Amino acid sequence: MRKLLSLIIMACLFAVSNRVAAQDNLSPQRKQAIDSLALEKVRDLSKYISIIGDKKTPWSDAQRVIERAVELFMENSEIGVSSLGKQDVNYYKIREYFDRLMQLNYDKVTIDWYKIQYVSDLVRQPDGTYVGVITIYQRFQAYDKEKGLVYEDTTKKDITVYVKRKETQIGGRLIGFWDVMLGDIRVKETSK
Amino acid sequence: MRKFTWIVLLWLPIMGFSQGSIGSLTGDESIFYAQTKQVNQFFLRFNGEEDIQGKRFYPGNQGYRDLKARKSYLNILFDNSSAVIGSDVKFVFIDDALNKKNPAFLDFYAKGWFAEVTATFTYKKEKVNLILYLKIEKQSNGYKWVISNVYFDRFESWFTHLSDTSNLKYFIHPMSHELDFMNLHKAFKETENLDFYLERDYVPDMTALFVMEMKNGNLDFVAVNNVKFHIFQVPNWYFEVSYFNRNSVNSGWLISNVLRVNEKEKEDLMQHYTHVN
Repeated sequence: MRKLLSLIIMACLFAVSNRVAAQDNLSPQRKQAIDSLALEKVRDLSKYISIIGDKKTPWSDAQRVIERAVELFMENSEIGVSSLGKQDVNYYKIREYFDRLMQLNYDKVTIDWYKIQYVSDLVRQPDGTYVGVITIYQRFQAYDKEKGLVYEDTTKKDITVYVKRKETQIGGRLIGFWDVMLGDIRVKETSK
Repeated sequence: MRKFTWIVLLWLPIMGFSQGSIGSLTGDESIFYAQTKQVNQFFLRFNGEEDIQGKRFYPGNQGYRDLKARKSYLNILFDNSSAVIGSDVKFVFIDDALNKKNPAFLDFYAKGWFAEVTATFTYKKEKVNLILYLKIEKQSNGYKWVISNVYFDRFESWFTHLSDTSNLKYFIHPMSHELDFMNLHKAFKETENLDFYLERDYVPDMTALFVMEMKNGNLDFVAVNNVKFHIFQVPNWYFEVSYFNRNSVNSGWLISNVLRVNEKEKEDLMQHYTHVN
């Protein structure tokens, strides 16, 4: 269903981008269409994080999901993590972050996502790529067989979204479309 | 009106969210809805360019830059726990910013605002804090943040003798030119006193020193500790925006300080913060 939705959005973007290809600024309608596509990627990411963190996920499946998750990101993307008690930010490469998430030493982990999301404006970079940020909130709970719930936090995740105009050939015709990739993520523990 | 805004904000989770949702967790999200989650959202709320649910208003939309809505937003954009922001100052600021004839708006792309980033570096293997000042700069048809200035107390300590007119010991005597400045080597012997020999009005270029020390491998970036923004875009006012990470509807990016200043004072403040030469 989600794949179908993505295809429909992509098709809409083809149509919109063909009509206003020469235009530099994103119209509100196009911005909304791009937001939907970006949110779809973020939804995929949140789903993948939940699967990777789930202790019931077999190792080989988790590895496959990590591959899929990494594909959502631009090369060299990083995750900057800070907690309430520490001033410093720890930076991880995307794959390293997922590996660490998979290897967490708890008996059970639950990762839930709050319904709220916030999508920023898109700002054009000097190279013509547009960049925006999507903010989402995650609840993490870790359990020990004997002690029960041993760790819990809620984090705010600010996810960079890159939107680039690309072209592809379909049936001998050059069709323009907007490609969405995820970039660096800043993870902040929210106040308890 | 303010009460009404809070009530609306607190009921938002029940009202739902216009753009669909990422997750399915049905906890109390009222804090997250009310929270000013991004600096982008701070600008949009300040300008009245999004509705209470976070849906963007564009020119021509009903409610776009609506003065009444902006009044509610401006009230929630202040750090309510601040001891430095008096309610009278806040009232006058809002009144000025929402002046019916000439209301003020924030512009991401315009001059008159910059970021102050406190970051940890290692300087010759010792952990130190530096302040970087960044501003938005246009390039081609896009924009980027650029470093406009740097503050590092270690750099400043190299210039403590600048404009010291009481010094009667460290100078190059006025007839040195007749000797092809052969006495310069004496001045350069004690490097701790080198700054005595510089012109009185010399202003050190901290950014140049920063670039040099980074390129020489003496300074290494570790992490960003804190970010805040200084905004001078409201006529006769300066304000500071900081991030408040707390379990309250009054959280996120909020005004942490506000001062009534004239244009000359603004210039001085800009100079004070950015150490512009």
